[in-house]
Amino acid sequence: MTIRWTRIAPQIALTPALAVTAVAFVGSILWTIYLSFTRSRRVPDYAIDWTEWTRQYDRLFQDAGWSTALWNLITLGLGSALAIVFGFVLAAMIDREKRGEALFRTVFLYPLAVSLIVTGVAWRWILNPTMGLEATLHRWGWTGVDFNWLAQGDTAMYAIILASIWQSSGFYMALMIAGLKSINSEIWSAARLDGVSLPRLYIEIIIPMMKFTFLTCAILLSLGVIKAYDIVLAMTNGGPGQSTWVPAYFVINALSQKQNLGYASAAAVMMLGITLLVFLPLVLLTAWQNRRREAQ
Amino acid sequence: MTQLDVTEAAAGATVIRGRARARRRRGLTGRSIAVLVFLTMCALFFCVPLYVVLTTSLKTMEEIRQGQIFALPETWTFEAWNFAWNEACSGITCEGLKVGFWNSVRILVPSLILSISLAMVTGYALALWEVRWAGTFLFLLFLCAFVPLQIIMFPLIAITRTMGVYGTIMGVAVVHSVMAMPVLTLIFRNFYKDIPREIMNAAIMDSGSFWKIFVEIILPMSGNILIVVLILQITNVWNDYLVGVTFGGFNTQPMTVNLANMVTVSTGTATYNVDMAAALLTAIPPLVIYFMVGKFFVAGITAGAIKG
Repeated sequence: MTIRWTRIAPQIALTPALAVTAVAFVGSILWTIYLSFTRSRRVPDYAIDWTEWTRQYDRLFQDAGWSTALWNLITLGLGSALAIVFGFVLAAMIDREKRGEALFRTVFLYPLAVSLIVTGVAWRWILNPTMGLEATLHRWGWTGVDFNWLAQGDTAMYAIILASIWQSSGFYMALMIAGLKSINSEIWSAARLDGVSLPRLYIEIIIPMMKFTFLTCAILLSLGVIKAYDIVLAMTNGGPGQSTWVPAYFVINALSQKQNLGYASAAAVMMLGITLLVFLPLVLLTAWQNRRREAQ
Repeated sequence: MTQLDVTEAAAGATVIRGRARARRRRGLTGRSIAVLVFLTMCALFFCVPLYVVLTTSLKTMEEIRQGQIFALPETWTFEAWNFAWNEACSGITCEGLKVGFWNSVRILVPSLILSISLAMVTGYALALWEVRWAGTFLFLLFLCAFVPLQIIMFPLIAITRTMGVYGTIMGVAVVHSVMAMPVLTLIFRNFYKDIPREIMNAAIMDSGSFWKIFVEIILPMSGNILIVVLILQITNVWNDYLVGVTFGGFNTQPMTVNLANMVTVSTGTATYNVDMAAALLTAIPPLVIYFMVGKFFVAGITAGAIKG
């Protein structure tokens, strides 16, 4: 009896988690994929018109708002990648110069504890043209500067990137510090003995050794960028016009403003596709890392 | 550079390294001054938003209109804080942020209990008991951990509506627990899998059942990981906007939604001091946690990010 119970009890304990995964994740994803082939508007309509079952996707690819959203996704991804570079520079400096390590780490990481809505509200106020940073700089005599980014469609995205960098640099710094600490300490002294200059040491030895950390950061950044919604909402609410729409914003907009379920589902499926595109390297990376760990 | 080179060079360097360390500790070199100056400037850049938000929230609107965002308040006043907490309008109700604050607390408690107990038991079963399909399930969880909410949003709305919890505090808490389940399970599983096999074997020999071992052996060992997960989940739930705005009803919206409504849907003239006070009030709970137990916070976000 006891032997049988040790078999059955864990399976019973896993039932709730299995049920959640099957219903809320697998089932729901399939449900959304199905809906994306239907003509559902406000309420689901489960009939599929097989003569034009891809109509939602056809419309999506012709939608100027969707292509704006995709371009903005790329802009946001490339722009926020600066956070990784910045995070690495901070980590390298903190790691070399041990003085004040705890203090600097605390300061650089605190934005991560704050809601993105709060971050957006704060930066929107700083970038306020009449009472914010720009007004102050003009008062100080720098009349040439223009920080009224949020009012113009072609610069509004930069404001969002700036706020994202401020928010996430500390996170990448923390990952980089962990990566730097795992580097064999003898390399530093060996390099010093060989008379390798500091920039060469970093570019030719340290960064290649940390390629795994960099790759992890890049994948996490991409996955974060795909989910970016709160920061856009709080800073521009998609505006001016549609200039700061991102896919995550597009889906919510189609669902709650346009009340077009089929269309929103098609956009959501595209989001899932992008996620998988980024996710695949992560799976391969983890598998590779596990194999390397076993080999050691 | 081969492994051998490094070790040989290192062996020769041990003597010198000792001396180098001593020299570094003795005085500030030009290079370390430059590094410290740069780091301090970066630190100032990171602190500017907090400083601006704090000083703006303590100013009067007349002073704000002068357009000196970096100036300290001439007259310090907590009026904006009081107004934001008690009277500010969010949507059509004007009862201040305190409504949202208590909603957030009421969402937080059940979602913590639900998500952590579910993830803990699942992680324990997957890590320490022989389940044939454990590997497949773990991989599935790994995939689910990265699914954006948008993709399962409508089905979840439909399901919670059928369950009768859509638009209630409980509905928001349930969706939070569902979304957090994959990551938290993976964190617990990674923690439990390092428990030595011998302990488990001895426990099973000692006629320990699944639940008995969990309560008597596993639970007392889980103190640290529990704190890490608790802090991770508190900040996640508190800072969330999307789940709250989608699944929260008219009177059950969390603080972030309240704040966003207050700031974006402005009726009449914008009162920036009230906006900033509201933003700070929303940010204070996670910030207090961060400054008090930052070490656990960092452990949580890195564990959630890498192993998730």
